[in-house]
Amino acid sequence: MSFTRRVLLLGLVAAPGLDPPRLLKWLGGRGRGFSATAAAAAEPAPELTAPEIDDLIAFAEVLVEGRPLSADERKVLVDHIEYRITQGGGYYLELYRTTAQLVNRLARAQFSSLDVAGRIAVMTRNRLTSPNVLPEEQRGGISDDTRAVRTRAVPDLIGGYYGSDVGWAAVGYDTFPGRCGDLARYTNPER
Amino acid sequence: MQAEVGIIGAGAAGGIMALELASRGISVAVLESGPRHDFSRRGEYVRRYLRHENPWTISPPTLDVYTVGGPTPYHLAGRRARGVGGSTLHWEGYALRLHASDFRLRSIHGVGEDWPISYQDLERYYGDAERMLGVAGVPDEPEASPRSTPYPLPAFAFSYSDGLFARACQTLGIAFHHLSQARNSLAYDGRAQCRACGTCQACPTGAKASVDLTQIPRAEATGNTQVITGATALKLELDRSGEVNAAVYAQADKVERRLEARVFVLAGGAVENARLLLLSGSRQLPGGLANRSGLVGKFFMSHPAIDVVGRASERVYPYRIGFSTAMSRQFAVAGDRVTQGAFLLEFLNSAGPTPERIAMASGRWGPALRQHVKDEFGHWLGIRVYADQLPDRINTVSLNPRVRDYFGSPAPHIHYSVGRYERAALDRAKEIASKILVAVGLTQIRPTGLSFAGHQMGTHRMGTDSKTSVVNENLRCHDVPNLYLVGGGCFVTASASPPTLTIAALAIRAAEHIAARIRPTRQSEPARAPAR
Repeated sequence: MSFTRRVLLLGLVAAPGLDPPRLLKWLGGRGRGFSATAAAAAEPAPELTAPEIDDLIAFAEVLVEGRPLSADERKVLVDHIEYRITQGGGYYLELYRTTAQLVNRLARAQFSSLDVAGRIAVMTRNRLTSPNVLPEEQRGGISDDTRAVRTRAVPDLIGGYYGSDVGWAAVGYDTFPGRCGDLARYTNPER
Repeated sequence: MQAEVGIIGAGAAGGIMALELASRGISVAVLESGPRHDFSRRGEYVRRYLRHENPWTISPPTLDVYTVGGPTPYHLAGRRARGVGGSTLHWEGYALRLHASDFRLRSIHGVGEDWPISYQDLERYYGDAERMLGVAGVPDEPEASPRSTPYPLPAFAFSYSDGLFARACQTLGIAFHHLSQARNSLAYDGRAQCRACGTCQACPTGAKASVDLTQIPRAEATGNTQVITGATALKLELDRSGEVNAAVYAQADKVERRLEARVFVLAGGAVENARLLLLSGSRQLPGGLANRSGLVGKFFMSHPAIDVVGRASERVYPYRIGFSTAMSRQFAVAGDRVTQGAFLLEFLNSAGPTPERIAMASGRWGPALRQHVKDEFGHWLGIRVYADQLPDRINTVSLNPRVRDYFGSPAPHIHYSVGRYERAALDRAKEIASKILVAVGLTQIRPTGLSFAGHQMGTHRMGTDSKTSVVNENLRCHDVPNLYLVGGGCFVTASASPPTLTIAALAIRAAEHIAARIRPTRQSEPARAPAR
């Protein structure tokens, strides 16, 4: 299955806590930007399958919050993945695909089918929560795909999530770079 | 194509000149190598900016090639913008007049050179430029040179963190004042009031002055200006009398076309102006056009910069606005300018890592990651230092025939170094900034690495002597009587202050001179920016 709006829709519908009206509003609001992005691409967009996306989101959920995400929070990650693949082409497609394959292999099951506790167990047992590769790990040997996931995919997904409005909300900001607001706000401490 | 005046480049200087000339009934054709960046799509530019990408990239990328050399390479990527609006597309909007002493560095301090004009010669034009760009300010800088006109807009209020800096500066006896800027503190000139969007390098509201939003459309509305986008000037051609009679340009199809005009103005910035002159050499002029002095491309200058940052125990609320509101120019005027450069202090409203950066550097995951982001965010304050740079012949823009652009023209090569004079200024500035941060009560105070402003100056300097300068006080080439060079390349010295307001004032002044030459009997004044 290709990485299309249909796939995204299916993924979001499957998400717990989905708010259908908000989803429809999001899709309606996104139409223009999505088309413009697609039109700007000279070649057909690369593809991730729906299960790969599910596995990737399931992996990222543990990293960024350690709990199931709301539909809005999942959307942040889906947007990030979509943007990376659209802009970065094969590099990110390969990285994300490697990530999905690795977690499935380590879980010996469809990673996204595990509950959060199960996913945490897989990820901590294999140190997939840390981007830092320790010297003893270097000496002991670390596979290329594990290294890629830890040093590239983990910071990428964390950065994509906390670089969004979710990250600003985490520090108590409801307006922030990219969201215009009250000009006088900067003159006072936050309420 | 024919026009009375052909302008190469639709940035700050070119856009302003186009409006000034067209408003006087003079026909103008502007060649702009970049595109017209559609304001209705500004949201896409903002998103690119937020993802740490250059919002103003253009296609084909090979149009923007350059090479660097020297001990401290000066890269152009992210430090210039191509397209209608030029660098005003991405500038910070800081609009400061130079000080009177900046024009007389040699006379007063025995270093650098004097400009061929004085502050007083430019003062009226500074006022015009402030009205044209919509500068918000208040005359509270103790060392400022006299001004004959008020700021057209009230200053932006000091920020919460400015209050912390102000108290520290008061304790230390350091001047602390507003930072004047071409950004709407109130709606002005058909543009909206700033809404604190925090993405000033891709302003989504048009509150920041940008010639693509005002001067260029107004010039076109006169019916006297035609802007040709995607049109890169390849060379200038001379007639038998030694005047430029045509600019040869090409668009994406690489077909050479000609723009003929009575007067030509190069307004492509300090790097591209010098490059085009060097590209316009011939058998008779092997060193390039307008280069009998041998100084085209020489004396390239920028503003070396560093940040000094420190950590506060309490939150200081950064990232709520995209620009600074306070500064100190005390050290841009007073003190030793013989052995060390002047410098200014910009009190940053945003310093330290964003939530994204904190999270990526954390090494944590899950709930601990979120808590870490919350705890660590918002504790850093910073002071940015910009230092004066002396004109040094070793710093140059030349041609690199081994690297060619989309059209096959040699790329510009920038050889750049920061000398003892500038480093002494940065060292002194670090000391002073650190004292201020200590007085604020910060810990972990440290400077960041050396950086450079996106200010490019000095490659075709002004002067009265054709042996030691490229253009005269009216920005007309000594060697080519119908060729004018505008922009930062005309600067004789750099000062410590951002150059754009001076670029604008010089462009208005040069336009007046050109208009008087083309229409010697015409008395009409150009259209000025309407009052709000």
